[in-house]
Amino acid sequence: MIAPDLSTNIGPLRLKNPVLLASGTCGYGEELKDLLDLNQLGGIIVKGISIRPRPGNPPPRLAETPCGLLNSIGLENIGIERFIREKLPWLQGLKTSVIVNIFGESTGEYAEMARRLDGVTGIQAIEVNISCPNVDGGIVSGTDPEAAAGVTRAVKRSTDLPVIVKLSPNVTDITKVAQEVASAGADAISLINTVLGMAIDVRSRRPCLARIFGGLSGPAIKPIALRMVWQVVRSVDIPVIGIGGISTYEDALEFLMAGAKAIEVGTATLVQPSSAENILAGIRTYMESNGLHRIGDLHLHI
Amino acid sequence: MADVIGQVQICPDVFLLTLRADEIAEAASPGQFCMVEVRSHGDMDPLLRRPLSIHRVVGGGEIEFLYRVVGHGTYLLSQHCPGDRLYVLGPLGHGFQIVPGCPAILVGGGLGSAPLLFLAEELARDMVTVILGAPTKEELLCVEQFTAIGHQVLLATEDGSMGRHGLVTDVLSEVLSHGPDPRSCIFTCGPWPMMRAVYDMAHKRGLSCQVSLEARMACGIGLCLGCAVRRQDGQGYLHVCTEGPVFDAERVSWEPRQ
Ligand SMILES: Cc1cc2nc3c(=O)[nH]c(=O)nc-3n(C[C@H](O)[C@H](O)[C@H](O)COP(=O)(O)OP(=O)(O)OC[C@H]3O[C@@H](n4cnc5c(N)ncnc54)[C@H](O)[C@@H]3O)c2cc1C
Ligand SMILES: Cc1cc2nc3c(=O)[nH]c(=O)nc-3n(C[C@H](O)[C@H](O)[C@H](O)COP(=O)(O)O)c2cc1C
Ligand code: FES
Repeated sequence: MIAPDLSTNIGPLRLKNPVLLASGTCGYGEELKDLLDLNQLGGIIVKGISIRPRPGNPPPRLAETPCGLLNSIGLENIGIERFIREKLPWLQGLKTSVIVNIFGESTGEYAEMARRLDGVTGIQAIEVNISCPNVDGGIVSGTDPEAAAGVTRAVKRSTDLPVIVKLSPNVTDITKVAQEVASAGADAISLINTVLGMAIDVRSRRPCLARIFGGLSGPAIKPIALRMVWQVVRSVDIPVIGIGGISTYEDALEFLMAGAKAIEVGTATLVQPSSAENILAGIRTYMESNGLHRIGDLHLHI
Repeated sequence: MADVIGQVQICPDVFLLTLRADEIAEAASPGQFCMVEVRSHGDMDPLLRRPLSIHRVVGGGEIEFLYRVVGHGTYLLSQHCPGDRLYVLGPLGHGFQIVPGCPAILVGGGLGSAPLLFLAEELARDMVTVILGAPTKEELLCVEQFTAIGHQVLLATEDGSMGRHGLVTDVLSEVLSHGPDPRSCIFTCGPWPMMRAVYDMAHKRGLSCQVSLEARMACGIGLCLGCAVRRQDGQGYLHVCTEGPVFDAERVSWEPRQ
C-alpha cells in the first residue's frame, strides 16, 4: 500500500498536511509545547495581533452554551513589535508552517502590519482577520464586501507573503464577500470566524458576557460553517480553508469533502489540547483504508 | 487519563472526588488546580472541562477534589463512580507562595477551604491559624482534617450553629486585633466579597495576603485568554490560569464586579 500524500497547497503556501491550529485557540504555540507535537501538524496560526498591544475586553469573557463556547476576548494581544521580539524566536524553531493572524482598525493599519511582517524569517503566510465580532468596528470590514476587498488589496500590495483572508459568517451572502476578496487578489480564504451570539444568566438576570454579545464557536456552529465552506468553494477559484466546530477526524473530512484544501482546529484544542493530532491521525487512517492518495481525492464533485 | 477511585458525598451538595493520577500527585503544590473532564466519553456536551483546585494529595499517587454541585457540569462530575476514567489536565497555574518561618493565617469561606487543606498540610510545622466559615454548621468543611494536622482552628457560622455567630472576617479581625506578627502571611479562598474584606484588613495592617481567584475558564493553560481579572494598577488584566489562580492580593483590582 502506498502511504497517502497529505500535503496540500494553499495557493503559493505548501502545507505538509491539511491540519492547522486556529488563531486565538493555540496562543503563540509555546503554551502547547508539552501537550502536542506542533511539528506533526500542517501549521499553526498564532493569536491575532494588532499594531499596538490591546488589553482586551472586561470579564466575564466566556460563557458555555450547548455544544458551544461564547467568547468576547476582544483581541487581547501584545502587539506586533513584542510579538516579533518575544514570541517569534520560539516559533522560528518549529518545523511547520507559521501563519500570523493580523487585525487592524483601519485599512492603513492592516497594510502597515503586512509590511512589517514581510521578509521576517519564520513566517510562511499572513491570515487577515477582517471578521472579529468582539471589537468595535471589527465587523465592518468583514461584512461590507467593498471594505473587505479594500483591506485585501492593501495587504497584498504590502507583502510578498501568501495572504489568507478570514471571513465572518455574520453576513447575508458569504459568497459576495468571498468573490470580492478573491478578485482583490487574496491567495486563499479561510472561514468561518465565530458566529455572533449571546447568553443570559437567569439566576443573576444579567448577560453572561460583560460585552453582552460574543462569538460562538465549537460543534454548535459546524453545520453553518460547512454550508458556508461548500458555498464559497463553489463561488471562487482560490483555495478555501474550512474552520468551525471541527473536533473529530470525521468533522475534518466533512470540510475536506466539501472542497476545503485544509482545515483549522479551534475550540477543540481548548477542550483537549491534542485534538489536532488525533484529527490528523484519523484523516490518514481514513485515506489509507479507503485507498485515497491525495487530499484532493476527498473532494466531492456534485 | 485518571481513574476514579472514590466519589463521596460530604454534605447535600458537596462531594469529595479521589482520582489516581501519579504524575499530577507527584508534581502538585498547594493552590494549583486541574481541568477535569465532567462529561462521559463520546458525549459532546458540556464542551469544557471544569477547573477544580487540588484539595489534597494522598499517598500512592492519588489526588482529591472537594467540590460543590452548582450546575450541570459539576452534577455530571458527581455521577462518575469508581471504575470510570476521566481526562484531567494538571497540575496547572501558580499556587501559594510559602514564606518559610512566617506565621500563616488561612481564611476559608465555604468551598474556599478546598485548596487550603493542601496548604495547611504543607505548613504542618509552622505557626498556623485556620479560620473557616460557612452559612451553617452543616456547610463547614474539613474542620476535623485541619484540626488533625495540629493547627489552631477557629470557626464562624452565619446562623451561629457552630463557632462564632458571624463571618470569618469577624474572627479574622479579632485575631488581628491582638497585634499579629508583622511577618504574618494571610492565605485566603472563598467568595469574592469575603476575599475582598480579608484583603482590606491585611492591606490596612501592611500584612501580606495571597488570594486564590476564580474565573470562567475554557482551556486552563493560557491559550484562550478568557480567564481575565482586572489588575489593581489599571494596566489591563491578569490571567487566572497562568499567572494565578493564587495572586498577591495587591495585584488584583478589588473594585466591585459589575
Ligand atoms: C482555579 C479554579 C479553582 C476552582 N476550584 C474549585 C473547587 O476546588 N471546588 C469547587 O467546588 N469549585 C471550584 N471552582 C469553581 C468551579 O470550577 C465551578 O463551580 C464549576 O466550573 C461550575 O460548573 P457547572 O457546570 O457545574 O456550573 P455552570 O452551569 O457552569 O454554572 C452554574 C452556576 O455556577 C456559577 N459558576 C460557574 N463557574 C464558576 C466559576 N468558575 N466561578 C464562580 N462561579 C461559577 C455560574 O455563574 C452559575 O451561576 C474553581 C474555579 C476555578 C477557576
Ligand atoms: C477564545 C477564542 C479566541 C479567538 N481569537 C481569534 C483571533 O484572535 N483571530 C481570529 O481570526 N480568530 C479568532 N478566533 C476564532 C477561531 O480562530 C475560529 O475561527 C472559530 O473559533 C471557529 O472555529 P472553532 O469552532 O473550531 O473554534 C477565536 C476563537 C476563540 C474561541
Ligand atoms: S482559561 Fe484559557 S487562558 Fe486561562
